[in-house]
Amino acid sequence: MKPEQELVTLTPSEELAHLRLLHLADSALPIGSLAHSFGLETLVSAELLRVSDLPEFLHGHLQEAGMLEAVACREAFHLALADGEAFPAARWIEINDCLSALKPARESRAASATLGRNFLQAAMGLEDFRALRNAREASLEAGGQIHQSAAFGLVSGALAFDETRAVLAYLHQMSACLISACQRLMPLGQNETTRILWKLKPAIVEVAAGSASFTLETVSCTMPLLDWGAMEHPALATRLFIS
Amino acid sequence: MAATAREALQDIASEISAPSRARAMLRLNFSRDSGSDRTFLADSFQEAPLKVVRAFSMEDGTALAHLHNVSGGLLGGDCLTMQVNLASGTKVQLTTTGATRIYRNREGFSATTQCNEVSVGEGALLEYLPDATIPFAGARYLQRTSIELAAGSGMFWWEILAPGREARGELFEYEEFAVRTRVSAIGRRISAENFCLRPKQENVSSLARLGHYRYAATFHICRVGLEASAWRCAEDRIRELTAGMTRRDEILWGVSLLVAHGLVVRCLACNGREVLPGLQAIWRSAKRHLYDREAIPPRKVN
Repeated sequence: MKPEQELVTLTPSEELAHLRLLHLADSALPIGSLAHSFGLETLVSAELLRVSDLPEFLHGHLQEAGMLEAVACREAFHLALADGEAFPAARWIEINDCLSALKPARESRAASATLGRNFLQAAMGLEDFRALRNAREASLEAGGQIHQSAAFGLVSGALAFDETRAVLAYLHQMSACLISACQRLMPLGQNETTRILWKLKPAIVEVAAGSASFTLETVSCTMPLLDWGAMEHPALATRLFIS
Repeated sequence: MAATAREALQDIASEISAPSRARAMLRLNFSRDSGSDRTFLADSFQEAPLKVVRAFSMEDGTALAHLHNVSGGLLGGDCLTMQVNLASGTKVQLTTTGATRIYRNREGFSATTQCNEVSVGEGALLEYLPDATIPFAGARYLQRTSIELAAGSGMFWWEILAPGREARGELFEYEEFAVRTRVSAIGRRISAENFCLRPKQENVSSLARLGHYRYAATFHICRVGLEASAWRCAEDRIRELTAGMTRRDEILWGVSLLVAHGLVVRCLACNGREVLPGLQAIWRSAKRHLYDREAIPPRKVN
């Protein structure tokens, strides 16, 4: 057996962490992820996005929005490591304010903030960590939003998950939720959905690795067409999704 | 302000590994004559190729200045800075004399960089209404813009990106076009954009980016201190207007509330003909709604 093919043996605590990460990154976690399309519904309604476009669209979405959220996830992850010392509340607020400012469409901004708040609340119901309590209190006090990627990173750090695995899991559930939205908007069967998500995995790995090279100040996110879709979503006559 | 400008320049400098061609600064400070309620260009610092000949006084007391680049466009390796300061209560309109051309990057030279630092004082109003920016084949362009809005101040700020020299069939042949914009109101960041297209490295026609559209425009409409409910009303009004201008296969218009104190409008279009008139229509409507004043289109000097 070649060295790279050797089986990796996890310690019981690593196995537990792995299971917890799978649980928290499950798109079925009841935080409302499946109620949002982040502007996709408008693109489908305008007949701009079709099933045949999905693989390329999702790949591009990962490179743009995925990269931004992965960077935020990483930055928040490191804040939780300060547990035991004073929680860096100012930086936590700054990360979330930065994400709010970078999201031009109010519905997508609100969706991300709702999911983030719900996710943090759900995690706090499972484990009691001072960093999570401090983060929620700081955001409440500042009147700021808590975005999903930041909340996921913070919780992952508090639970001492491996950083890159946490980012991979976040990106995977983000793509899974988007494809799930497509299933409800388009003639897209379960087998095709599975195949698309399967083929997306190398791109997820690539984006997760690339995200370590950026900060929220330097990462770019260029999605003007989806921004348009999210901006105009409130004007749709019939809507399946909140955003 | 100076500290911020320095930081921004350092930020850009850190991305420049090759020699630059020209380093130039344009600083414009506007003040208000309280007797006549007219805004005037109190002082300026100009280094070639950046130039403002004079500020014209408009009928409503606004000072209109045309931003010139006497070299005809941005050359590869240029590192330019523009600082604009509006004192309290001033009204300023800035425009260009034509499209901003970004020429092919010269081999061995750094990307063309433009750093804009803008400060809008209490109760002041800035209208930044340039023509489109056209990156030529081989162009590499980095732009950093930082805008600080004080209490009661306002801003209309649009930017239009063309795909290239369309008439000669040059579409998305530039190397890189990266724009980083930050807008803050009373110290709070209300909008940020990290827009970057590298047509030779990524598919700009992906539906995740521009789709089949070629032109992109962003229009910030801000007035600090206005209630959220008033902005919702403004958003509805502009959406009514943009709905009438949208034709799915040709041009899309979208509008949304910012985090606070403003709106952002996005436009995607297959050709540039309707982008500027559309932005002007939105500007007229928004100015009437937010300021109860008519928008006066800038007089061009060419």
